Amino acid sequence: MGVDHRKAAVFGGALALRLLLLVLFPSLPDLLTGRVEVSTPVTSFKRLQEGLFLYTRNVSPYDGGVFHQAPLLLPLFSLLPNAQSFPLPTVVFYSLIDLVNANALATISDSGQAVSGRFYSALRKHIRWDGVSIAAWYWFLFNPFTVATCLGRSTGVFTTTGILYAFSSAVTGNSLNAMLALGFASYLSIYPALLFIPLVLLCYDQRAQKAKTSSGVASFALQHFAIFIICIAGLLGVSTLLIGDFYTFISATYGFQLLVPDLTPNVGLWWYFFIEIFDSFREFFLGVFWLHLAAYMGGLTLRLRRQPLFVLTSLLGIFAIFKPYPSISDASLYFALLPLYRHLFPLMRYTFFAISALLYATLLGPAFYHLWIYAGSGNANFFYAITLVWSLGLSILLADTIFAALRDEWEHDNPELRGKEVRQV
Amino acid sequence: MTVLSLLTLLFVVALSSFTSATSDYRESLDLQPLPQSALLASFNFRSNESQASFDERHFRYFPRALGQILQHANTKELHLRFTTGRWDAESWGPRPWNGTKEGGTGVELWAWIDAADDEAAFAKWITLTQSLSGLFCASLNFIDSTRTTRPVASFELMGDHPASSNLHLLHGTLPGEVVCTENLTPFLKLLPCKGKAGVSSLLDGHKLFDASWQSMSVDIAPVCPRSGECSVHIDQTVDIVLDIDRSKRPRDNPIPRPVPSDQLACDTSKPYHSDDTCYPLESTSAKGWSLTEIFGRSVSGACPLTENVDQEEPVCLRVPHEREVVVASGAVETKKPDGFTRCFTLQPSTPFDLTIPEQEVTTHVPLDEPVLSAERTIVGHGQERGGMRIIFDNPSDTNSVDFIYFETLPWFLRPYVHTLQASITGRDGLHRQVPASQFIRESFYRPAIDRERGTQLELALTIPPASTVTLTYDFEKAILRYTEYPPDANRGFNVAPAVIKLDAANGSNHPIYIRTTSLLLPLPTPDFSMPYNVIILTSTVIALAFGSIFNLLVRRFVTVEEAATLTAQTFKGRLSGKLVALRDRIKGKRAKTE
Repeated sequence: MGVDHRKAAVFGGALALRLLLLVLFPSLPDLLTGRVEVSTPVTSFKRLQEGLFLYTRNVSPYDGGVFHQAPLLLPLFSLLPNAQSFPLPTVVFYSLIDLVNANALATISDSGQAVSGRFYSALRKHIRWDGVSIAAWYWFLFNPFTVATCLGRSTGVFTTTGILYAFSSAVTGNSLNAMLALGFASYLSIYPALLFIPLVLLCYDQRAQKAKTSSGVASFALQHFAIFIICIAGLLGVSTLLIGDFYTFISATYGFQLLVPDLTPNVGLWWYFFIEIFDSFREFFLGVFWLHLAAYMGGLTLRLRRQPLFVLTSLLGIFAIFKPYPSISDASLYFALLPLYRHLFPLMRYTFFAISALLYATLLGPAFYHLWIYAGSGNANFFYAITLVWSLGLSILLADTIFAALRDEWEHDNPELRGKEVRQV
Repeated sequence: MTVLSLLTLLFVVALSSFTSATSDYRESLDLQPLPQSALLASFNFRSNESQASFDERHFRYFPRALGQILQHANTKELHLRFTTGRWDAESWGPRPWNGTKEGGTGVELWAWIDAADDEAAFAKWITLTQSLSGLFCASLNFIDSTRTTRPVASFELMGDHPASSNLHLLHGTLPGEVVCTENLTPFLKLLPCKGKAGVSSLLDGHKLFDASWQSMSVDIAPVCPRSGECSVHIDQTVDIVLDIDRSKRPRDNPIPRPVPSDQLACDTSKPYHSDDTCYPLESTSAKGWSLTEIFGRSVSGACPLTENVDQEEPVCLRVPHEREVVVASGAVETKKPDGFTRCFTLQPSTPFDLTIPEQEVTTHVPLDEPVLSAERTIVGHGQERGGMRIIFDNPSDTNSVDFIYFETLPWFLRPYVHTLQASITGRDGLHRQVPASQFIRESFYRPAIDRERGTQLELALTIPPASTVTLTYDFEKAILRYTEYPPDANRGFNVAPAVIKLDAANGSNHPIYIRTTSLLLPLPTPDFSMPYNVIILTSTVIALAFGSIFNLLVRRFVTVEEAATLTAQTFKGRLSGKLVALRDRIKGKRAKTE
């Protein structure tokens, strides 16, 4: 009962904070919607409104260069009142989505799957955050990045919902729901499909742990792959019914995300690289960048087979760095899952450096962007340098957590060598 | 025998009169002094060719080069405009030809092409622009799919076309094109007298492109009278507004010099008037000028190819009849009954000049009030986003104005139509925000696609009497690939003027056109000097992440002591150790399978 009271208080506080910000600063949502760090061409709320405007006037929103988001968002948002004249319902809606996400996060944390799985149980599992679930909510609900994303009304939060709901269903053993949620997330923005294999392994481990008599992993994976595909096909089918022209919306949404034609600045590494790359190499490097993004999935899944949830978390971190259109909402999702691994923090080596780099980038990013775009006293390299620092900080943090997880696994296997100096060969 | 020869003679005479009736050439020059020492000169050249001889490629006055291009590109009707400068409607009044012979700043081209479908029409359109580009020495070949639109309601056919033809209207603009003397020379070459005789002999690039505003146009359309044969008409015009003072400066001494102090006209009633302070007095007398002073040369006689050379009055002047006008000998002056117009005949091979001395005038040529004035500007600051603001002012106190507003935007300017807002200001100065749908009767919107096509927006608007309506919408500026920027990237990109088509007023058949000025759009720019550095730095960050993560993944943990023993081994020892490990593994596998 006590926990429920705390949960209710935290949720209420988070909702109140968002509404308070809206009431105190009525122009804040529009300001955040316009920030390149919050809104990317594939998640921007302003573009969604434009698409909605065209959709409600029977013009195909995909026959243009502005709207690149999934078609099902259109009927959903046409139910909400116009955000320009009535901003409150939209913000309340997004805040509720945030609370749903936080609830999924709490479920993941409560399951304890982060510290002990089918094959593996962390040595330091007693080092948990004082009420891990609460910590996760704090890390998520009161994280300025999450609040900014919520008020900026980025449609990336729906992908976050899909991913978190898939994780929470997987750790509670509901593998069907996990696949459906992942299908929904992949339908919204293509990259969550890369999470499929580790997620299936997580589901399989849950099933095997409970049922004892387990079927083969291959047939289990195939079965779930079929569910996943059927889910996506169903969503695409509904979208086709909605829009009419299958090819147009596929090329305007998924084609757009794959080929990256819009080079609006964001916190990632792709935009400036593809502005400056020589035309003859553009396609080649597009392939290399996507291949690079996909390569981590195989490596992490193989090496950290015993901790599939950690693989999923690390992949989310990788997406936050190397996605074509990343925003701070992707980073906030990674930061939300990271406290599940509180027991790894003592094993990390470069925490201070990584956190300093991230803070540095967070503070200087908007300033340098202003210098480039508005003041004219800096050029594009200023903001580009900050995105490099941001990516570098995140990748150091990511590599450090992977190191800590591997070290923890090694100590688990060799309890006699615990605490000794180690080296990798 | 005599009867037969007589018949033949009659037939030849009939034939010659027939051809002369369907193929002729006329030219005219209208001069009109405008307020603020401006002078409007409108040159007009018309000729035609019967459809039959046009189809047989038999050209008399019609320019062969253009005729062949039109036939090659299946173009049935063509309108080409070269314009520089801005028509100052507030002081100069309504536009010449009601704006129908005017283009937006730069080059504007629209044509009706006969083709089976849209793709075929576009292919022919590309052929047309490429050929015209060569003919007029203009960058018309840069009118690609991103600069081409298919207007729905803004342009209408001028000529008569058979109902069977499947015509496609295509419209393209080059707002950044600098119109200059290399475009004038091919323009004059299309004329039968090639600028050597007739009023076209006045056209000199030095003076023409020094004007405050100038517009050259070529219009080609087939015209079919009720009875009789169809003919293809070509209509070329040059309209210029010259500044009289500026044009009168001698070419070898063009720098303006201050007026000597004893020649200054000062308002002595001012309290501060003294030897060294002067409030300039508005001159009440109309400026004196002559054709030779303004154009640098005189008309070198009538063009002998003109129809009825003796009776034509090609040069007309619109000044009050009380003004004194001195003309060269041989020219005959006719005063028109409206009290303001007089026309002159030209003699072949006799130079013609016209001089108006400076004179005190009491009556002025009345200027009509424009039906509508429009202004379009970009608002906002920063290189990320901005807004477009269009102001329409209806000066009439009784009538509302209906018109079509047409604009094309380049793809890197991304408008957000959902932000379209309107406000209205009455004569009382009150500013009210109203829904845009109150003024928009109909709208056509085709959004841009990156690197494929531009935005096309056509609005049918109604502006209530005695009010000013402001439309605004937001847009976002895209950042381009560095090869897509022009060499002067920080100057900005030109946005084509908007075209406003007013419905035909007071019984005339042709609509009135108004064009806004072109706009300059600054875009965010990357650093052009360091593609290599960016490639290297980004690749380094990616390699760092990839390297550190995969380094962790592929290696195994050992204690420091074990690591020391491992590294202490020689290369040979390590190699043999690896081989032993491999052998053991193979053996182990075999043992397992057995």
